[in-house]
Amino acid sequence: MTARDAAKVILVVLLFVTVQQTLMLDIHFVGIHPDIMVMLPIAAGIIGGPSRGAIMGFGAGLVADLFLPTPFGLSALIGCLVGFGVGLSTVALDRAAWWLPPLAALGASAVYEVAYAAVGSILGQPQMLHVDVVGIVLVVSITNAIIAVPAVRLVGWALPKVSAEGMPGSVGAIGSVR
Amino acid sequence: MAKPRRLRRPRTTLLILVLISITIITLDARGDLGSFTSGLKSVASDAFSPIQSAVNAVVRPIGSFLAGSVHYGSVRQQNQKLQTEIGSLRQQMVEQANAAKALKQLQALSALNNLPSVQNLHQVKTEVIDFNTSNFASTIDIGVGRNQGVTLGMPVMGSGGATGGLIGKVVEAYKNTSTVRLLTDGQSTVGVAYGPNLYAVLQGQGAGKPLIAQYIPANTPIPPGPAFVTSGLQDAEFPPGLPVAQKLSVKNGNSANDETVTLEPVADFAHLSYVSVLIWGPDAAGTSAGGP
Repeated sequence: MTARDAAKVILVVLLFVTVQQTLMLDIHFVGIHPDIMVMLPIAAGIIGGPSRGAIMGFGAGLVADLFLPTPFGLSALIGCLVGFGVGLSTVALDRAAWWLPPLAALGASAVYEVAYAAVGSILGQPQMLHVDVVGIVLVVSITNAIIAVPAVRLVGWALPKVSAEGMPGSVGAIGSVR
Repeated sequence: MAKPRRLRRPRTTLLILVLISITIITLDARGDLGSFTSGLKSVASDAFSPIQSAVNAVVRPIGSFLAGSVHYGSVRQQNQKLQTEIGSLRQQMVEQANAAKALKQLQALSALNNLPSVQNLHQVKTEVIDFNTSNFASTIDIGVGRNQGVTLGMPVMGSGGATGGLIGKVVEAYKNTSTVRLLTDGQSTVGVAYGPNLYAVLQGQGAGKPLIAQYIPANTPIPPGPAFVTSGLQDAEFPPGLPVAQKLSVKNGNSANDETVTLEPVADFAHLSYVSVLIWGPDAAGTSAGGP
């Protein structure tokens, strides 16, 4: 990854954080706000495969944790697992398919939120399971499914165009459709 | 072209990242990384605050306008409700004159016990910047921080009822902003008194849900109104006498000898726009409660 690529990735992460901390915190559905930071590992997993999904999940998670009152490192842990999982589960799929980003965002966001609550409660925050987890899953999954296509294109613009894990066409497919 | 070896091993990458994450979480939970992460959060918050303010200044009026257009009916209803509230507030002004008289008597009683009065504590009033930055915690971000004298653990009051009430305490203090954990958060507990020598611990249950007090002795008479006030016992996290909650309902507890009381916070959590931080630290509690 060149310095230019790194700068592009940092720019996209900062853009997502800014939108999350401003616009998204003002949008509420039954007291729950969308969480677009979850889209970063999902998009990176779709575009770059398991490794890049995991690295993006870890990095974006640490940045997100800077603004959250929940345990520091929790978003990074769940983010890297989800990014890896998305990369692995979509490896055999047609990455240019229009339905892949919304579907992956819907499923992976749900897994992310459930895992976040469950692991948080294991790490000494039992109240994280006492919130409206179903509501959070629905709001976050649906909003992420809606923004999935532009989010994947944006991350595709930022990630360098090399097939990192021996997956022919894995990088270029969606990221190059611009 | 040969691919870098590390990129051919996604599982190794994942394992390393998971181990790093778990290490960070563990060190942070043990407090070994506490000052480091707190410092990082402070730097991030201070750096991000101007961007956030600038974006909010542009976006919020547009959002409010759109929300107003979409919810025209409810805006009208809200307007009618506000008109009613204005009438009610005028009435309260008259009642407040009587309350002031009662307050003087209470202050005299507090002075007898050597307890500090809320009126005597320095307060920093501020605007609420953000609500619930995480869906999994009940917190607010406020527009004052260390530069304004705000430090960790300080009590925060909100409007509601005749006197206002406790809404939570400062859990992160940055340069010009702070994060307040609300009473309704599942992690929040507050020691309260609800009568002479009657003490309980109130527990939050999540945003929008009432507070609960467990192990209240069965058939204990609980007066109506904001009867639950901070206890201010030795090493308490809050000064004594802050209104906290009022009884909603009582049900049987885990045994025949106790009850669980469901409570509604005195402060109006649905309309937290401005709050007051009480410049008070737990050290003062020891002094006050330990006095003669």
